[in-house]
Amino acid sequence: MHSEGEKGYPWYFFSLTRAWGKSLLVALLVITGAGVLYLWYNRVATDLAPDSSLGLSYAVAGTLCLGLAAALYTLRRRSRKRALGHLNAALHWHVAFGVMGLALLFMHSFGNFNLLSGTYALYSLIALVISGFIGRSLDQIIPRLIATEVHKALTAQGEDRIETISQQLQHIVVHNTQELAAFDVTPPKEKRPRRFASSPDLQTSWDLAYITLEETPQELSRDTPQYRFVPEKRSPLTRPGGLIPGAQEHISALHSVQTALQREQCYRYIIRYWRVFHIGLAVLTALLTLWHITYAAQLLLPTLFH
Amino acid sequence: MFKPVLLHKTGPQIAQEIQACIGCNECLLACPALAEPITIDVLNCQTLSGSISPAVAHFARSCYQCGACVDPCPVGLHRDAMMMLLKVRLLRSGWEE
Repeated sequence: MHSEGEKGYPWYFFSLTRAWGKSLLVALLVITGAGVLYLWYNRVATDLAPDSSLGLSYAVAGTLCLGLAAALYTLRRRSRKRALGHLNAALHWHVAFGVMGLALLFMHSFGNFNLLSGTYALYSLIALVISGFIGRSLDQIIPRLIATEVHKALTAQGEDRIETISQQLQHIVVHNTQELAAFDVTPPKEKRPRRFASSPDLQTSWDLAYITLEETPQELSRDTPQYRFVPEKRSPLTRPGGLIPGAQEHISALHSVQTALQREQCYRYIIRYWRVFHIGLAVLTALLTLWHITYAAQLLLPTLFH
Repeated sequence: MFKPVLLHKTGPQIAQEIQACIGCNECLLACPALAEPITIDVLNCQTLSGSISPAVAHFARSCYQCGACVDPCPVGLHRDAMMMLLKVRLLRSGWEE
């Protein structure tokens, strides 16, 4: 498990690849260009509405970007003609097209956020892009959290710690049980003093109440569940190796490993279900966008043909 | 939808999986985190022991355990579990320093 080369698994890992740089540059150029056009149009034009010529151009460009964001990555994932690293580039373009689509459709609204179909579609799109960014952040954080939990669950040699601890615990329990079983707690019968008044060896006590067949408080407490056997100092159980200590420590170590495994499973679910959530939001956005396009087409088409 | 199974595997289990790897590269082709091409042999060699090269370390740090590499494997291996062991090795080596 020891390595000499690269070391460390830092929390913040950043590497600017060529595909990422290219997609980032294109996204910045498109958003800046569209923003400049938006500002210029705001100054020169009077028709600042989503169904103006520039508003419709933004709508078409934004929808195209969203379509590309969804289609390119999905098709690349399912494609049989793939090369190493191409899917990573497709993922960067997926993010870039998503951000471009959001920016263009935001400009398409021209600040009109009336509770109409388009506003719902835009809100859904905002939620989709935010969920994408949260997902990318989780992708950065959660594998590191999982690695920390797995580190607790594996020994230095890469073996299962639960098994190792269980074996050690079993050894302790077996050893201690055998030692305790071999140790005769009760003194030999012949040495036990006779307690009965009828015994001929025993002198009749002047106080008859002293001799009783009832159990002593020590004998009673031995039967309680809280009773803990503590050998005497001169007992053979106190010799080195007589009883192996550490059973409680092993049990608590076992509990901590089990907690680590539960956390690992939970983190894995977060990674996977966040993807499901993102895809669900994408489907919802697509449906709301279709609803908005249908609604807008019903309004626009009659004006275009007359 | 997803089976409640643990992501990680032990060192001996990973060693068995690496032995069973046929080197078809399907897992790497399906990986959205791999930016720079690396060979499956190098990755397999460095997963369990020995020094970790900058390219393999970069890939391990970029991998986000999405599990996209598991389904395309024709022999049913778990590349995500192998990557996790590599990450634990990187993590421990960082703490040792």
